[in-house]
Amino acid sequence: MPPLPVITGLGFVTSIGHDRATVGRSLRELSHGFERVEFFGNPNLPVKVAGTIKGFDFPTPNWRDWRWPDQFKVDRELLRGLAPHGVYALCALQQAIAEAGLDPAELADGTTGLFCASAGSPFMLGSFLAQMHETRGERGNPMGLVSSIAGTLNFSLAAHYRITGAVCGFVSACASSSHALGYAMDEIRLGRQQRMLVVGAEDMTAETIMSFSSLRALSNNPDPATASRPFDRRRDGFVGTGGAVALVVEDAALARRRGAHIYAELIGWGQAGDGHSVTASHPEGAGLREAMRRTLADARSNATDVGYVNAHATSTVAGDRSESLALHAIFTTQGAKPRVSSTKALTGHGLSLAGVMEAAFCALAIDEGFIPGAAHLEEPDPVCAGLDLPRASLAEAPGLVLNNSSGFGGSNVCHLLRRPA
Amino acid sequence: MKTPAPSLTAPTTREQSIRHLPAPARAAFEQFQAGGDPAALDPVVLAILADFSPRRSAVPLAELPGATKLIDDLGFDSLAITEVVFAAEDLFRISITNEEIVQVRTLDDLRGFIQIKVADRRVA
Repeated sequence: MPPLPVITGLGFVTSIGHDRATVGRSLRELSHGFERVEFFGNPNLPVKVAGTIKGFDFPTPNWRDWRWPDQFKVDRELLRGLAPHGVYALCALQQAIAEAGLDPAELADGTTGLFCASAGSPFMLGSFLAQMHETRGERGNPMGLVSSIAGTLNFSLAAHYRITGAVCGFVSACASSSHALGYAMDEIRLGRQQRMLVVGAEDMTAETIMSFSSLRALSNNPDPATASRPFDRRRDGFVGTGGAVALVVEDAALARRRGAHIYAELIGWGQAGDGHSVTASHPEGAGLREAMRRTLADARSNATDVGYVNAHATSTVAGDRSESLALHAIFTTQGAKPRVSSTKALTGHGLSLAGVMEAAFCALAIDEGFIPGAAHLEEPDPVCAGLDLPRASLAEAPGLVLNNSSGFGGSNVCHLLRRPA
Repeated sequence: MKTPAPSLTAPTTREQSIRHLPAPARAAFEQFQAGGDPAALDPVVLAILADFSPRRSAVPLAELPGATKLIDDLGFDSLAITEVVFAAEDLFRISITNEEIVQVRTLDDLRGFIQIKVADRRVA
């Protein structure tokens, strides 16, 4: 039997909780992670809400000023080379490794790889470059580069955990960590690695979030209870968040030999480009539609087998509409009616982090037998007519679960998950 | 929650550079600034070293033998030593070349090196 990738460890540092139990409860009870924020100390900014990462504080780019909750241990040696999202990632990965019942020393023998995704740290890079400009190139923090550029996560975590298997970072904006997970599945399916650590993370800083305000992509709704409302007629943009989620993915045979708990099987993935616009999604969701089709084909599954779709829907006017049309094309036309929700209504949009965060939510839903509801949805957009968007979470086993992600340039990636046999 | 406007530049003023050091080291730095007392340098240098140390030393650095090796004994890597040197450059307004950095292997190497550089600066 060919290797089958399964999820055996989950780690969370998110706006809705920093451990599996809290995150599961937030998803079932539809408790959001939003707070009012004032970016850049500027009360005039129209963006008032973000998915904050409670208990962590990064007031300056100087690591000596950084704080994190007491339950996490962060070595000083490592801290000097991290961005804020590197601290989140380390805390999430520690949880995932412990949950999977692994000793960190087991990760160094070459059978384990590490795929990561983040956009780098504009916060750290801005500080590093400002110092270089100020000193006309005569000074630079020696750790400025590795703590800030895209790839910072895989540099730091691979060295820290002595990973000698495959190590890579993925950059496709909001599809990045979905690519990381998809290619991690392939590493296992191709027999190249027995185990993959997959980590997605982003800073929760003004520099990361407000960059999307320049694109007019963020919600200006000041109410944390309604600012993120995917598929609602009154949605006006996404709410930003950061944090980190880590997965331990391994070959099912290895997981069973170890007696590890299997949250979910990863039975297929697929991707397709829109070939359309650098920022906007295809108006009919053509790329996402094709990515879903390829994912179902990869898993040799049918649209009617899918019980729940964790939609990418970020609460932007155009993006949610495109995804609705793509969902109709794949499901409604086949007479299939899976439950659909976007958990970004609770977490906010985690950008590079989003794909792996939502894959982890799908694994939790499968493991605990529930379907997250479509939070904050009051007046569904007419384009959603015919989609099953439950307003409350449902205590039902979801069957096959599809996880959708889309990023800049029209990168669309999906995964299909199944309850372990 | 307020997200304060972060300073987008790393600390560059001397006050910012030493604000994380313990009070006795900050006092020693003031003493050095006021009178140029080279004896006041040592606690400052050791405090910078402790600040960048990858491990918290059970024994205060001041009580360790001068021959204690930064990499082998204290766990520094070459980048951490570079960070110490850069901090010393900023604080004492001295300049240390890459070739000179690699000569710094022990606590006494670092002490002696900074003493000489500071003395040179005062002559110049």
